Amino acid sequence: MRKNNVSYPLSGAGKAWFLGKQAALRLCHIGIVLLGITFLSFSLLHMAPGDPAEKYLTGGDGNVGLISEEAIQAQREKWGLDKPFLVQYVTWLGNALRGDLGESFATGNPVVTELWDKIGPTVILALASLFVTLLVSIPLGVLCAVYKDRLLDNICRVVSFVGISVPSFLSSLLLLYFFAMKLQWFPVISRGGIQGLVLPVAVLAFQCSAKFTRQVRAVVLEQLHQEYVRGAVARGVKKSRILFDHVLRNAWLPIVTWAGIYFGVFLGGAAVVETVFSWQGIGQLAVESVASKDYQMIQGIVLWMAVLYLAVNFLVDISYTFLDPRVRLGKRGDRL
Amino acid sequence: MRMDRLLQRKPRKRRQITLYILLALLIMLFLIAALAPVIAPNDPNETNLASQLQGPSAQYPLGTDSLGRCMFSRILYGAATSLFSSVGITAAVFAGGTILGTVAGYFGGILDTVITKITTVVQAFPRLILAIAIAGVLGIGLGNTILALCLIYWTEYARLSRSLVLSLKNRTYIQAARVCGESHFSILVRHILPNIFPSLLVTATLDIGAMIMEISALSYLGLGVEADMVEWGAMMSAGRNYLQTNPWLIFIPGAAIFLTVIIFNLFGDKLRDALDLQ
Repeated sequence: MRKNNVSYPLSGAGKAWFLGKQAALRLCHIGIVLLGITFLSFSLLHMAPGDPAEKYLTGGDGNVGLISEEAIQAQREKWGLDKPFLVQYVTWLGNALRGDLGESFATGNPVVTELWDKIGPTVILALASLFVTLLVSIPLGVLCAVYKDRLLDNICRVVSFVGISVPSFLSSLLLLYFFAMKLQWFPVISRGGIQGLVLPVAVLAFQCSAKFTRQVRAVVLEQLHQEYVRGAVARGVKKSRILFDHVLRNAWLPIVTWAGIYFGVFLGGAAVVETVFSWQGIGQLAVESVASKDYQMIQGIVLWMAVLYLAVNFLVDISYTFLDPRVRLGKRGDRL
Repeated sequence: MRMDRLLQRKPRKRRQITLYILLALLIMLFLIAALAPVIAPNDPNETNLASQLQGPSAQYPLGTDSLGRCMFSRILYGAATSLFSSVGITAAVFAGGTILGTVAGYFGGILDTVITKITTVVQAFPRLILAIAIAGVLGIGLGNTILALCLIYWTEYARLSRSLVLSLKNRTYIQAARVCGESHFSILVRHILPNIFPSLLVTATLDIGAMIMEISALSYLGLGVEADMVEWGAMMSAGRNYLQTNPWLIFIPGAAIFLTVIIFNLFGDKLRDALDLQ
């Protein structure tokens, strides 16, 4: 890393080379992390108690003994569970690279198909929640920073305190009780429509905004205390211009990072909220797979989340290049 | 202008009073949890089908659940489960994470690279989902939930203590101590740890609240504690089917979680102010 901290000339070729090298390094890093994560989860699942083949054939504990040992053995061979651990992992990895994550131990359907079906609803929920969160948090956070310790700031402080102290299942159930059961404005069980989207988004956005508003406020406040703001005030620059042209431009980077992180978290599936509102997403799938010990499916979900998180991080890093001239010139890292 | 006002002395006294009130509330919570078997009017697991879903009465101060169990007693016993396991997890990750992070930050090198990489990978996952996955692999039970949360949360302390150590280790007084022949171990224990302790303590206080929420969320999903264990999230999960008719079955344990978490969070916040940390 250190070697890259030399500042590069503005010339196009040098810049492109530098960026290309950075991107290639990042991709290599991502590959290694993915390999590590899949290996780790694979070995964890391998060590887990219980025989998936037996569980699949008996369909639960009630029928144990009714299925012949030969049939179980045959099922194990079909899934390759009789092979040594490393062979299993390499086989799985090879198949995964070709887009085949095996079959669900619980239903027998391909994992990829099941995942694909659930990713849609989770992405919709994530996008909607992120949109609402940004819409609420950024203006509020900036206002709270500018009017620090005034009425609005104090109200926001109390509300975000409540927001981070309410477990999401409690707020989900409260909304479900009042808006779906008492007032009957929304369906109790979401069926994917806009109507069913409102309550889960409200819960996720409330919880996330509670944190995000404070973070935006802190970043903007930090910038407001910088010397350059004092300088601008002294020069008589208009206040709105200082805020929008100077402060917000500098505060932009951490805000984008956090938005990316929250998006990643949302995409990982909001297990609790999805379960409470019967939203057929990845989070609910994860809970179900764990409950039914569907290791093949869990492995798929873990992979999805790892890819997702790394992709979001990668994109956030790349976006720095466009947002921050210091990165574009290759000077970033001086502070590290 | 604003800067000057910020640098002025804070109204110390009032803050500290709030801090002590919160501390008293916390001690009360722990006493309630510890003395649950003494205070509780009924056995929390005693089912009584003749008196199910009752309202508050002299015998059952908060009514009964769908199996006729005393809600009040269950709330008290639930406090013990939540509080003691959360404090235990926090203490464990505090100790483990801090040691790893301090060593990584202080000595640097390959050790630092490895620890930082592991931290990055663990933090890559949405926490609850990772907890669900680990708890699912290990099997359902409070012990495994605690283990799963420990495996996830230590990274926060490792990262924080590492960055704090990095900001300290090149200070003149550390170098001076080194030049005077003080051993690395002694420097870590006598100079570095006391300096990073306050920040970590505040994080830990705030984390206890988060831990209570995580345990109850896992229990709510049916992946946290054993079926016969009394826990607030599990109580809410059991009351789920009665949301329409008997919402209090859910809202009483919900309120218990909320109040406990908010006391811990407020305390952590005031503690940060009192210790003058950013």
